[in-house]
Formats: sequence, structure tokens, C-alpha cells
Amino acid sequence: MLELTGVRKTFNAGTPNEVRSLQGIDLKLDEGSFVIVIGTNGSGKSTLLNAVAGTFFVDEGSIRLAGHDTTRWPEHKRAQLIGRVFQNPFSGTAPELSIAENLVLSARRGQSRTLGWALNASLREQVFETVKSLGMGLENRLDNAIGSLSGGQRQALTLLMSTWLKPKLLLLDEHTAALDPKSADQIIQLSDQVIARDKLTTLMVTHSMHQAVNLGDRLIMMHRGQIICDFRGAEKRRLRVDDLLNRFEEVRRGDLLDETAAEMLQRTYV
Amino acid sequence: MTLLIGALTIGFILSLLALGVLISFRIYSFSDITAEGSITLGAAVAATLLTKGTNPLLATGIAVFAGMLAGACTGILHTRFKINGLLSGILVMTALYSINLHIMGRSNVPLLSATTLMTWAEGAGNGLFGGAENINVAGWEVSARELSVLGFSFLAAALVGIILYIFFRTDLGTAMRATGDNPQMVRAMGISDGNMIVFGLAVSNGLVALSGALLAQYQGFSDVQMGIGMLVWGLASVIIGEALVGLKQLNLLITGALMGSVLFRLLVAIALRWGMDPNDLKLITAVFVFLALIVPGLIAKAGWKKVGVRNA
Repeated sequence: MLELTGVRKTFNAGTPNEVRSLQGIDLKLDEGSFVIVIGTNGSGKSTLLNAVAGTFFVDEGSIRLAGHDTTRWPEHKRAQLIGRVFQNPFSGTAPELSIAENLVLSARRGQSRTLGWALNASLREQVFETVKSLGMGLENRLDNAIGSLSGGQRQALTLLMSTWLKPKLLLLDEHTAALDPKSADQIIQLSDQVIARDKLTTLMVTHSMHQAVNLGDRLIMMHRGQIICDFRGAEKRRLRVDDLLNRFEEVRRGDLLDETAAEMLQRTYV
Repeated sequence: MTLLIGALTIGFILSLLALGVLISFRIYSFSDITAEGSITLGAAVAATLLTKGTNPLLATGIAVFAGMLAGACTGILHTRFKINGLLSGILVMTALYSINLHIMGRSNVPLLSATTLMTWAEGAGNGLFGGAENINVAGWEVSARELSVLGFSFLAAALVGIILYIFFRTDLGTAMRATGDNPQMVRAMGISDGNMIVFGLAVSNGLVALSGALLAQYQGFSDVQMGIGMLVWGLASVIIGEALVGLKQLNLLITGALMGSVLFRLLVAIALRWGMDPNDLKLITAVFVFLALIVPGLIAKAGWKKVGVRNA
């Protein structure tokens, strides 16, 4: 479904602020798989998702999605195939537009916009039913500006919007990190339901070790722009929070060793 | 009375400018100074064609199209070449000054004997009022010609307002509004935000050019200087309109911009009548917009302080 081959991305190349965010990523996702991405800060998790979504073009390597070579597709064109939920609950919705208008925008994701009436009666009925399925009572506030809602409510609507037209790939970028624990739980349950119901191929970045072990059928761990672990099937199911923490600890120790070794070499030879 | 009717007529004609500014400034938060060039462009194109005997409706239509091209240029400079929005507008506005001179061939084109939309409006009014020279409105003798031109400009403004409202409720219009609100979300929904900005600025400047074309036909000439200060004028109308209607709903914002333009023109007419120096007009307009921009913030700040004192 999604195939990344030798993907590299360096930001601010040639300056003191050079950041090598992705250093040769090879990743292949099967159709219908639900992949969790974890990693230390600055490991390139979000960069990986943004590379797939087309926020920027990669320096090297290729990205194939659902039979298309999307490497040079602009972001809005890739949106035909991709549904996204962002970390910031305010990123996924247009605050001054009503709930209904936001959902209508998503009902035509990736299609050309014409002079057709945006919110016709049948679409309004569908919007009502879809929003009602959230069980948040928002179906009675369809004409309210979305900016008046809480972060959790907005994130729930963003999830509905990104999956209204079944996407070939769903990208969830730490989409519960900015929410209070109760809303975060709600959104996680909702995500799990939608993904299972529509058998969506999903790539989800998270900071929560609990989410990482409880969700998904595959888990990859990133460090310094590379994929360092890849657990699938039975191995993924056996993973516990402690296993992940141990892995992180190993990675951290590996880093320390690198630094002291470098220091020692410097002291000896410079 | 003539003064009042004149002020209302110009108010309605310039409300089209206000609607253009509403799109660029309120929907896209883009201070599009192209408007100062495109209002003159609309006037220049319409006036030049009319002196050559072109059908007034066609001449006005071509003027709108020219304005849309100018707006699209600004949009393309901004989105494709990543030039700062204000600077893109300044570049196009400056270029338009020369273009407008070329179109007109000189700095001023009079429309003394040309048939214009206003001539048509007078003709229609003549039929409507049964050929009377003057009409009695609430005790005042009013020239039938002036009244028909006022009626025409009101209809034009109302019609454009309604079309704009309907347009904003279509798929394309909704996408346009969302682009100003949250470009990231718009891209994630498969819409090119760059194209939407180009298109929106084209619509905005098309309206501004329409305003210019009608203004030239009303005042009977087109002048290369007529655009100076027009963006601030449009902003003042939009801001007064928002104060009048209060809520940020679409239909209200459009109505507000229409009302704001008329009210502002009336205030100006009254001030001039009371002896304000016309040279101070633009200074006062600028100060007014400055105050309108900062006062809401100051009021909010004062409110915060009060809350702070109470808590302490």
C-alpha cells in the first residue's frame, strides 16, 4: 500500500543548523495494517509522516502510495489518497466555518470544487447522522462555528473528516498529545473503532507507551532518522510497556557510549 | 437633498469596493493594495471603451475582467514566487499606474457624450416616472435623473451582494473561506491553497474594478489618480460595517460592508458640508481606520485589568 525506499531529508543543509531528519528510511506497509511509530524526541517520527503527506519534498528516495509514485506530488494532490489528523486540534478544522461546512469540505476531499451548492439537504442529513454517531451531542450544533468547540470535540470531528471518504492511508500525528486524559481516551477509542471498521491502512505516531503496546498490529521505533526496531505479528502482541522502556534505555546508553567514545578519541588524538 | 442623493449613490457604488476589500482583508487577512490600481483600471478600461461607443454592459464586463487579471497577478506573485503579500500588491499597483495611462492615452478621459450604464438608468427612470423632471419625495423636490441613478446603484450593489452570498455557500466559495481560515486544513482536504488565493484575489479585484467602472460612469470621467487612498476607504467601510452588524456571520458581513460604505460616505458628505477641508479627507480616513483597528484591543485590555484588580 505504502512503500518508502531510501528516503532522506536534511533541513537547513549546509548551515550550522543542519538537521538530518530522515537518513535512509525503507518501510513497506501492507494493506489494512495499523502501524505505530514511536521514538525519542527529534528522531524523525513526525518528519516521516510529513514526508508521506507531502508537507515537503524528500531529498532522496521514493514514496509510492496505492500504486502511484507520489514522490513529487504536491501536498493537496496527495490528499486524494491520505486522511490526516494533526497533533494540534486547531490544525484540522476551519474555526470560522460551521461544523456542517467543515464536514462538507471533507466530503469532497481530493475532488475539484465547483459552483454546486455546498450543503444540500441530503448531505446535511448525512452530516447529521455522522456527527450523531460521535455521541457528543454536536449534531444539534451543526451551524455553530467550529472555533467554539473544545480541543477534544474538534479532534473528534477532524477524525470524522479525515475518514469520511475512506482514505488509502490514514496519518495520525500524536493526535491525542494536546488533549486532556479523558478526551485523549475518547479519541483513541474512536480512532480504533474507525480503523477497525473501515480496515484503514494507518500510520500513527504516539508518545504514549500504553497506546503503543495496546494499539496496532505493528510497531516501529525510530532513532536519529532511522528505523531501529520493527515488531510485527506475535512479537508485537507480546510487547509490554517495560520492553519498550528497556529499548529506549538501551538506545540512550548507546548514545552516551558514542559520545564518551568520541570524547576519548578527541582527547587522545587532537 | 441633492447632496444626500449624491452621497448615497457614491456610497452604493463604492460598496462594491468594500465587498472586494472584505474578501481580501477579512477572508484572507491579506492587505491587498492592488485595489488602488484595479479601481482605476476598471474606470480606465470602461471609460476608454465607452468613448469608442462600446455597449456599456460589455465595457463594464471587460473592466471587471481586467480587474480580475490584476488580482490574479498579485496572487501569482505571492503564491508562486513567494513574494510578501503587501509587496506583491505594491508591485502590481505600481505597474498598473503605467498600464492605466497607456489604456487611457492621457491622465483623464471625460465621458461627456458617451452612452453609459447611467444613461440607461436615466432612461429606465424616465419611463418609470412618466417623464417627470422632478419627483416629490417626502416633501422634497428631487431630480428624477438623480433618483434613477441612485436606484440603479442600489440595485447593482444589492445584486452583487446577493450573488456573493450565494457564491460563498457553494463548494468553491466554502473552500475559499476555509483557505483564509486554515490553509493547512485546506491542503489536507485536497485543495490547493495557492490556487484559492489567486482565485480569491481575482474575484476581489474584479469587484473593485466593477466599482471603478461604475464610478467613472457616474462621475462622467476616469482619472489616473482616482485610486489613491481607496484601500483605506474600503477598509473603513468594512470596519464600520462590522461595528454595525456585530456578528461575524457571512450574510451580515456582506450587508455590513454595504451599509458601512454608504454610512461612511454620508458622514464624509456631512463633514464636508460643515466646512471640513477636503484636503484633510484622507488623513482623517487613515486616522479613523487606525483607531478602529486598535480600539477593540484597548477595550479588551482594559477589561482584563478590571478582572485582575477584582481578583487581587
